[in-house]
Amino acid sequence: MASERPLLISTTPGASTTDDGPSPHPPAASLLPPAQPEPPLRADRLAFSVEVPDPFRPSRRGDGPFDDPSAASQREREVGDDDSRGVVVGEPSPEFAGNAIRTAKYSVLTFLPRNIFEQFRRLSYVYFLVITVLNQLPQVAVFGRGASVLPLAFVLFVTAVKDAYEDFRRHRSDRQENNRLASVLAPGTAGDFQPKRWKHIRVGDVVRVASSETLPADMVLLATSDPTGVAHVQTVNLDGETNLKTRYAKQETQVRFSQNGGVGSILHCERPNRNIYGFQANLEIDGKRVSLGPSNIVLRGCELKNTTWAIGVVVYAGKETKVMLNSSGAPSKRSRLETQLNRETVILSIMLIGMCTTASVLAGIWLLNHRGVLEFTQFFREKDYTTGKNYNYYGVGMQIFITFLMAVIVYQVIIPISLYISMELVRLGQAYFMGADKDLYDESSRSKFQCRALNINEDLGQIRYVFSDKTGTLTENKMLFQCASIRGVDYSSSKDTGGYSVVVGDHLWTPKMAVKTDPQLVKLLRDSGKNEEAKLVLDFFLALAACNTIVPLVLDTRDQKQKLIDYQGESPDEQALAYAAASYGVVLVERTSGYIVIDVLGDRQSDRKRMSVIVGCPDRTIKLYVKGADSSIFGITNKASELDTIHATEAHLHKYSSLGLRTLVVGMRELSQSEFEEWQLAYENASTAVLGRGNLLRSVAANIECNIHILGATGIEDKLQDGVPEAIESLREADIKVWILTGDKQETAISIGYSCKLLTNDMMQIVINNNSKESCQRSLVEALATIKKLRAASSNGTLGPVLTSETSSVTIALIVDGNSLVYILETELQEELFKLATECAVVLCCRVAPLQKAGIVALIKNRTDDMTLAIGDGANDVSMIQMADVGVGISGQEGRQAVMASDFSMGQFRFLVPLLLVHGHWNYQRMSYMILYNFYKNATFVLVLFWYVLYTAFTLTTAITEWSSLLYTVLYTSLPTIVVGILDKDLSKATLLGYPKLYGSGQREEKYNLNLFVFNMLEALWQSLVVFYLPYFAYKRSTIDMSSLGDLWALAPVIVVNMQLAMDIIRWNWIIHAFVWGTIAATTICLFVIDSIWILPGYG
Amino acid sequence: MSVSGSETDSVASRRSKKPKYSKFTQQELPACKPLLTPGIVIGAFSLIGIVFIPIGLASLSASQDIVELIDRYDAECVSANDKVGFIQDTKTDKACTRKITVSNAMGMYVKSRNDKQLRSKDSGSMITNCEPEATSEDGAPIVPCGLIAWSLFNDTYSFSLNKKAVEVNKKNIAWDSDKTKKFGSDVFPENFQKGGLIGGAKLNEKLPLSEQEDLIVWMRTAALPTFRKLYGRIEADIMASDEITVVIQNNYNTYSFGGTKALVLSTTSWIGGRNNFIGVAYVAIGGICLLLAMGFVVLYVLKPRALGDPSYLSWNKENPDQSN
Repeated sequence: MASERPLLISTTPGASTTDDGPSPHPPAASLLPPAQPEPPLRADRLAFSVEVPDPFRPSRRGDGPFDDPSAASQREREVGDDDSRGVVVGEPSPEFAGNAIRTAKYSVLTFLPRNIFEQFRRLSYVYFLVITVLNQLPQVAVFGRGASVLPLAFVLFVTAVKDAYEDFRRHRSDRQENNRLASVLAPGTAGDFQPKRWKHIRVGDVVRVASSETLPADMVLLATSDPTGVAHVQTVNLDGETNLKTRYAKQETQVRFSQNGGVGSILHCERPNRNIYGFQANLEIDGKRVSLGPSNIVLRGCELKNTTWAIGVVVYAGKETKVMLNSSGAPSKRSRLETQLNRETVILSIMLIGMCTTASVLAGIWLLNHRGVLEFTQFFREKDYTTGKNYNYYGVGMQIFITFLMAVIVYQVIIPISLYISMELVRLGQAYFMGADKDLYDESSRSKFQCRALNINEDLGQIRYVFSDKTGTLTENKMLFQCASIRGVDYSSSKDTGGYSVVVGDHLWTPKMAVKTDPQLVKLLRDSGKNEEAKLVLDFFLALAACNTIVPLVLDTRDQKQKLIDYQGESPDEQALAYAAASYGVVLVERTSGYIVIDVLGDRQSDRKRMSVIVGCPDRTIKLYVKGADSSIFGITNKASELDTIHATEAHLHKYSSLGLRTLVVGMRELSQSEFEEWQLAYENASTAVLGRGNLLRSVAANIECNIHILGATGIEDKLQDGVPEAIESLREADIKVWILTGDKQETAISIGYSCKLLTNDMMQIVINNNSKESCQRSLVEALATIKKLRAASSNGTLGPVLTSETSSVTIALIVDGNSLVYILETELQEELFKLATECAVVLCCRVAPLQKAGIVALIKNRTDDMTLAIGDGANDVSMIQMADVGVGISGQEGRQAVMASDFSMGQFRFLVPLLLVHGHWNYQRMSYMILYNFYKNATFVLVLFWYVLYTAFTLTTAITEWSSLLYTVLYTSLPTIVVGILDKDLSKATLLGYPKLYGSGQREEKYNLNLFVFNMLEALWQSLVVFYLPYFAYKRSTIDMSSLGDLWALAPVIVVNMQLAMDIIRWNWIIHAFVWGTIAATTICLFVIDSIWILPGYG
Repeated sequence: MSVSGSETDSVASRRSKKPKYSKFTQQELPACKPLLTPGIVIGAFSLIGIVFIPIGLASLSASQDIVELIDRYDAECVSANDKVGFIQDTKTDKACTRKITVSNAMGMYVKSRNDKQLRSKDSGSMITNCEPEATSEDGAPIVPCGLIAWSLFNDTYSFSLNKKAVEVNKKNIAWDSDKTKKFGSDVFPENFQKGGLIGGAKLNEKLPLSEQEDLIVWMRTAALPTFRKLYGRIEADIMASDEITVVIQNNYNTYSFGGTKALVLSTTSWIGGRNNFIGVAYVAIGGICLLLAMGFVVLYVLKPRALGDPSYLSWNKENPDQSN
């Protein structure tokens, strides 16, 4: 299938920088000094940057379908004056935000009001507060003032201390960050850089950064130590990717700043925004307008690497830098259970109001019936006999109202406020055990499971959809060179050869990784030069070593003589190929913007070139190397002459891809001197063109890339992470649908689908891959019709029993391309896609942009009640992780960005199985039980209080002492449920992993639903009747006093609800034993203590 | 692939992150898992039945043995039509040859007292919570203050058995702890029942509160609207056909709020007063449990089911909607 992608994308960065005649010598200050004083031969005039589209480049670098040339040209459009800011280079301007940052929330003065305000944004605290305030009114006061304020004050205080500590730490790190030093060009001078604190840097300042220093603000590069203006930055703090990224200073500024005269030019750039991959600006310099793009800006938080120094002008500072704009945390999510709990809370509120109304209406009726005798009843008498004042009686209406308010205070616990605190504690405990689980610890990356969001633990037990990124999540993102096909010969056997080293001076340089090599191929290479075949083999490896953007870094080892070469690059495929070439003896030693040094079997060659394609060799031949996807390369080959090779290579390619390998085809063309010069002229014209530069460059590239000789093909293994197929199988058995959303091309996505057993041969594949809205619609409708037919065929038994079972077992896999999604998502076709996707067992989305990933998650999330989980590792997964109900970040070698945005982070994809099936199930089961139990236990107690009111002329006198009323939720019954919520296990880990179907209980909401709630309330009703009326009838006509009976009514529900808990506990370990029995004992002791405090009426 | 670099030192420093394995952290603490097997369920129900029925029967018989005589006298002891006027008239003789008890509205009543004041003389002026019966008209604190003390019961009874006067022992009718800890031996009544309306009995101002046992009994408020208060003990033996004559000073005003009074003469036993409820409840619950146990036995014999049979798992059951 032909790739939709343009054959070649010419990239502008740096292309215009190298065509200004002979470059100066290679920079002396490079990390890697040339081993030999001067390369023997250098093709001086060669400059072209054609980046062969690399289909395997993960889309997180921003080259998704949205990043196509049209988008690029859009980006190049002039920055309008309305939405831009003008910066005068070298003149700090105070009108923009300074560089001081502030992540702390509070200052000493604002802490108290703001923190209290923040805390009272939680509704439960407001409820608490209202009750407490009510209780302060003398007419309504049920509890003593101190006693009623205590619980709220305690909770507020603890939270405030926690917040204060966190904020103190933020203050400290802010201070450290703001007081770091950077060299800033003193205004009005040329080249006088003086140290300045970061917080004093302003937009317009020119800053000089040395190697390994962190950038203080977002800056446009003006000049670097490299004569061509290249700088390498590590963006690990920004998106967590550890490889080096290349940024360029424009040649115009590079020249001027090298001569110390650059200040005074004016830069127009877009307003601060959070897109870390986008930037557009232009620079007015010497009356010329130079346009700047994302490759010209370096961002705060990045580190300069492999470049001695770089000078840049600050364009965004402080809180307007992209890293700060991106640092807003993940949107807070609420768990499904908590949302449902709100529904029950509303029901309970209605119950509360009902009970209060009943009590106050009955009180009113009582008052009316006893209207005449009120003066003589001790409680309601209207006059104080000694003083003659009105006392304690406000008229029937007011008395009803007061009774209502008092009833609210007395029955407040029916809405279990303490439940919210208990839930938080339980989640903390669950998070601890998830983090401590050795099954969730990744030995290879030494990363523990982390709960980053503490409020959605139980959602893990209800997941129905898993959206997974591919690169770095299902696969390790470690490419391994496996086999090569050169001129139609397959070299697949491999053995460990221990690597190849280069002697540089008196040092031994070894590539960091050694690839297994094919002995036959090695032998052939050693004989190179002798025959044509060997020459081609050498060309093949030269192409692999040269045709990439890899930057070799030389690392010291403990042994002085030994050095390691670490290939840094944005594409893991290129890294794999460079290491492979190195293992065969073609070692990429050095790369600068001007030339590359390749050590070929000990014979040092230095080639002058840019980027990849055209290489001027020492023997004055000029070669064009091309590598790319098979579809793109075969289209530009010289078909007639090498049909055999092409056929053989195609056969090998098929073999490799069926093994799940990623394939690349390498081609070459020798250019004659005249051809080269002709091309170079065209190229220079194109690259200096003001209008349509991109298109011109592309056509220049297309002109020369024809008549390519096929050198061969490579097969790279995209290593799956451990246990991925098994994990996917388990998830499928648990009725969880796994969707893969990847930026990779369709073929790769499908091959990964096969290798992780998501796709199987007996599946019917439906591919949606269209370029227009109409065709998308057609495919969707057709696909739906096909499925309908299949389903109909399987359901109406006309086909006979055997056939029926066969057709019904046909599972359908849907493969959607990112291009089609452009036309489907957020249009009316969404609905069709949703219908189609839910019919399919497997959905693969390929070449999707980050935002589309979120769109697909939203497609499911907004249309169903099913819980979604997104798992990914890179910055491109952030949007989907934040969109899904549960976001999981893989904390592997790539990025922290996904982890920062995630709710949970772990080391491996396969941990999803224990996380969901075991911990998710437990969390859900425990939390559901705890919530229902809390409703039940509080309702029991409140109903006991309510029955008593019927015998006190509805005056809301409580037999139970106020301390017991307050302690009931806090002490008498809370701890066991928390401990059970953390420790009880309904099923063992082995059972849960062995029978993934058990996960269904969470998906079907079997452990928490309205029926269970009603059932629990009925249980509370019946148990409260027993608890109240057994003592009532037993002591009906006796001399028992109020506090004795009150203690009985306090102790009885405590024992009853704890016994209920004891009956519901499934596994008793010693901790649970201690807490359940300990609580009953503690309650008894508490009652004794309360009765021995002589202030209280129960004293005795 | 082999990584020829050495990262061992950084590895060692980060090793500490590895979760420590223990039975606790892995949630593998030894635990017992009580399974409700038929045997255990049937055994538990039978045991409850076997234990409860005898307890219930014993309670019932103890309760049945208690002799209790109740005589409501509030209506009979007042002949006048204006009952409230009669009872409020301090001059009339309210002697009535009959019998006792009170019901009244409660409420803030329970809290209308100050325990500190009762306890020691230093706190004599502590009158918080005593409203509206806190101070006398000139503002001096009332001891004991509050509505409860104010409404102290003041009917008195004198008994004669077969025309012979019987001594009623009024000592030790209150809790010991109340007498020693709660009501101080150095606190004497002050300004008590000196206000416009007399709520009930007056106290002997010479006696400390700790010795005013009627007050102590009264101050221990009842839990339920119908309640009994201990008046005293008759220590003479009373035979079956003996006739008891009670002369009641019917002073206490229950008429204003429609309450009733009755005199209860009762023997005592370990079960307390005469009340069959506990016994009946025990027997009933025990009986139900025994019946359930027998029901389970029958069910177990008729339809036995193996424990842990996987064919009962929901996804192993024949389920029509399991097909998709």
